[in-house]
Amino acid sequence: MIKDTLLVLFALAGAPLLGGFMAGIDRRITARLQARFGPPIMQPFYDVAKLFGKQMIVPNSWQVFCAYVYLVGAVLSVVLFFLQSDLLLIFFVQAVGAVFLVLGGMAVPSPYAQVGAQRELIQVLTYEPLLILVFVTIYSVTGSFKISAIYAHEAPLLKELPLIFIVLTYALTIKLRKSPFDFSTSHHGHQEIVKGVLTEHSGPILGLIEVGHWYETVLILGLCALFWATSPVGMIILITATYFAELIVDNAMARMTWRWMLGYVWSVGLAMSVINIIWLYAK
Amino acid sequence: MIKDFIEKSRAKSPWMVHFDCGSCNGCDIETLACLTPIYDVERFGVVNVGNPKHADLLMVTGAVNHRNKHALKKIYDQMPDPKAVVAIGACGLSGGVFREAYNVVGGIDKVIPVDVYVYGCPPKPEAIIDGVVKAIETFKAKAREAA
Amino acid sequence: MPSLLLFMCILVPIIAGVLCYLVRIGFARTLTVLVTGAVLTAGSLMLLGHGTFTYVPPSPWAGLVNTAITLADFALLAIMFGIARKHRSKLIMTLVVLQAVPLLFFELFMVDHGAPAPGFYGDNLSLIITLLVSIVGSLICVFALPYMQKHEAHLHLKRSRQPQFFFLLLIFLGAMNGLALSNNIAWLYFFFEVTTFCSFMLIGHDGTPIAVKNALRALWMNSLGGVAFVFGMIGAHHIAGTTDIQQIIASGPMGGALLVPLALLCLAGFTKSAQVPFQSWLLGAMVAPTPVSALLHSSTMVKAGVYVIFRFAPTFAGTFFSQGLAIVGSFTFLVTIALALGQRNGKKILAYSTISNLGLIIACAGINTPTALAAGILLIIFHAISKALLFLCVGTIEQEIGSRDIEDMRGLFAVKPRIAVITVIGIMTMLLPPFGVLISKWMAIEAASNNLPAVGMIAMGSALGFVVWGRWAGILMSASYKKGLKPEPMSAFVNGPLSVLAGGAVLFSLVLPWIYSLLVKPMLAFAPYQVHFGSLDSSIGGFTVIPIFLILAAGFVYALKQAQKTRARHVAPMYMSGVHSGGPDDETFRGPMNKIVQIETGNYYLTRLFGEERLTFWVNNVAVALLVLMMGGAL
Repeated sequence: MIKDTLLVLFALAGAPLLGGFMAGIDRRITARLQARFGPPIMQPFYDVAKLFGKQMIVPNSWQVFCAYVYLVGAVLSVVLFFLQSDLLLIFFVQAVGAVFLVLGGMAVPSPYAQVGAQRELIQVLTYEPLLILVFVTIYSVTGSFKISAIYAHEAPLLKELPLIFIVLTYALTIKLRKSPFDFSTSHHGHQEIVKGVLTEHSGPILGLIEVGHWYETVLILGLCALFWATSPVGMIILITATYFAELIVDNAMARMTWRWMLGYVWSVGLAMSVINIIWLYAK
Repeated sequence: MIKDFIEKSRAKSPWMVHFDCGSCNGCDIETLACLTPIYDVERFGVVNVGNPKHADLLMVTGAVNHRNKHALKKIYDQMPDPKAVVAIGACGLSGGVFREAYNVVGGIDKVIPVDVYVYGCPPKPEAIIDGVVKAIETFKAKAREAA
Repeated sequence: MPSLLLFMCILVPIIAGVLCYLVRIGFARTLTVLVTGAVLTAGSLMLLGHGTFTYVPPSPWAGLVNTAITLADFALLAIMFGIARKHRSKLIMTLVVLQAVPLLFFELFMVDHGAPAPGFYGDNLSLIITLLVSIVGSLICVFALPYMQKHEAHLHLKRSRQPQFFFLLLIFLGAMNGLALSNNIAWLYFFFEVTTFCSFMLIGHDGTPIAVKNALRALWMNSLGGVAFVFGMIGAHHIAGTTDIQQIIASGPMGGALLVPLALLCLAGFTKSAQVPFQSWLLGAMVAPTPVSALLHSSTMVKAGVYVIFRFAPTFAGTFFSQGLAIVGSFTFLVTIALALGQRNGKKILAYSTISNLGLIIACAGINTPTALAAGILLIIFHAISKALLFLCVGTIEQEIGSRDIEDMRGLFAVKPRIAVITVIGIMTMLLPPFGVLISKWMAIEAASNNLPAVGMIAMGSALGFVVWGRWAGILMSASYKKGLKPEPMSAFVNGPLSVLAGGAVLFSLVLPWIYSLLVKPMLAFAPYQVHFGSLDSSIGGFTVIPIFLILAAGFVYALKQAQKTRARHVAPMYMSGVHSGGPDDETFRGPMNKIVQIETGNYYLTRLFGEERLTFWVNNVAVALLVLMMGGAL
């Protein structure tokens, strides 16, 4: 019980710190990759603090509602993750956040936000089946959807599910809004249809979304870490390597279209999942 | 403590929106040059956003004409407080060589309040960065006034 | 005791229907419908309280009922033949003859009329269906009262056709309850045919050429199912030697012999539940007045198909046929929601999504483990509530704004906030945790996770569903700020059913663990989930229903509180590159030549990928191939 309480507290307080910190590293490394010096590591925290200090401007009250629900969904999914509950449950709770992000974007008839929201829907459409397949294959290895079963599993999942891990990183790239998949909205310096789904969010409301995004980052990196759940060092190595690879991909790739994404990610993702599963059964 | 952190953060995260109000593009090139590796204003947390609703600083170039002054005003109005305006280049300051033209308003401060004037035709990126730093100080003061 | 309750559930609505037909007074009709609704609700609840039962009418009555039903059966077939002749449809005439002749042979030469005929049987499955029919059905009938008045006012009819309408609606409720509660397969067939007939009549109710055409299509497709049913029934009787459904099931897992008749019965279920390639009749049925769509074509009648499949599911557990059912069901789930994605007609989206969910239910029956069956039954319950609600919402919206195109519902919140919010709630209950539909989907995925093709299709289908529902909810709320927005007035007969259904969809999700342990668990071979602290737990996963419900509810309330702090001074016009022309509620900009231009936005419908005309051909062909494969597996 005490352990659970500590985990919940860590999820609530630690996750945004971790997520913000990751975002800071992201901007710093991206800058370095572009031969720039880059902002301080603390920059995402300054940004969010500033946003909370700005005047409240909203298009309507529904957007405020959506932003808060998005945050609630993101936080709850991280808490469930730290409590080692059912992977599918975590996924569905995270979908609450995802849908309210879209609804928040669609709250106004603004063309930029509308197009962004539609694209966000396509992004969700792209990664959802892949994530479910990832969870199902994890189930076929560990015999359970619960995260606790992954920790109980003696070998790292990465050994048995290497291709599935790559499929997960596709979902990670989409979720982090990295190139080539950053067309529903984009990150810091970049612009796409102004700011896509987030165009009409501003000030404290945008701050909430940003914090929610940190939670989501932690969730999805946590999912990656599960593939080397047998050792804490392994988890850190895996997260670091994956995140660094994400940054390289982000900086090396151009932004593509949603048609390309849907076709490419579904076909490659499904093919890799099937190959991995056949390999699993053949072994 | 949180309040202090927010106050501190205002100065550390000035997001700018850049509005070309009929400039010859000279100043615009210099403004965007600030973001390049040589000058790299992201060191100070400056991010070039595309949307006044996200911005703290409005960087305006150009002489302002009777058509786009409405857009300038509306974009300024859409920025949430605290905010600051930096007028860049001779045209932005006074209308420059276009000052006497029939359709030119001649000066950004005739439409919206300007906090910092950066002169030059075009100004050097260093000068623009100086202007940004000055602007940060003014809106810090503004925020303190408002509070 | 069961005799009275059965009377309340089956005969009362039929009598009330006849009453509505004979007494052509609006007030009397309203009263009849309300009283029938109350009786049905009470009867079904008491039946549930009574628990599992077997009831055979006492000796002279049993024979009489049986004879009456047999005669009514032939009378119904004769009427259908007459209809087919009137419309010169050779196809339907053939199908009716194909039912009547074997049925005559069956009744004359096969059934031993000397033996005591089986009567009624109620277990939790039939009781759940009865509850849904009685309560959801009654609510829809109440909703239909003001709806039909407006509908007819709109059509400028000289002579009201409401008596006939409510006659069919109420008869249908009785027939559905009869279908769920009969233990005699011949009676089941009769009630099956009654629902087909009611559906035909109600689709064609408006009498427009398109309505008649679609009604005939529904009739021939369902008659095809009827033919399959008759032959399945004869086959089952031939092998099991009885018309008692419980005995047929008990003699079930003997092997291949019974599988063919069972497969035919399932095929009948497929047509009734409008599974691909039979989906077109349900889509055509959307021309009917909306209460018909809500009652027959989403929450109850189409459930008759899955009811039949679920009823016989234990008999084919573990067979190749069952596996085939899982694949066909999940295929339907995937392709019909993909078809829904290409649609902008609200009722068509609902129709496709209904077929899709029925596909998932059938897939659950095919997977045939206790987990899957539990998922399927929960989905039957929650889908019926949410979908009935959504149909009624679309009906209400259509009467308010004169369109069922979801693009026309853009910004409905600013015009009709009450119905917009109820619709959004309905959509949320279809889409998100902690609501019942999603929890059943979660169970279905966990149950299907050993069946890779099925789970892959379910995963893709649920992602497509996310887009379909997400964009619709978004559209409804996509409105600029309006000061002092007040909920629009609504008649009690509209508001009542909507509120009860919306409240039910939310609250029943909260008590889902108890619904599971009281209603669903007793009919499973073993309990896949344990319930404690309001969580469903199993060795392979767990859903903390109540805690998540409470936390999310708290989050929603907090978000609502924050949202309510919004004041006019917070509101700014949307960003339109600085050329918006007016204040916060203005959706125009100043274009070239100083012209004021209204902005227009639209959803992605991806018709190049998911358009009806593009997909349907392939979907139907693949579905036929899969069906042949599945039926071949039964042989």
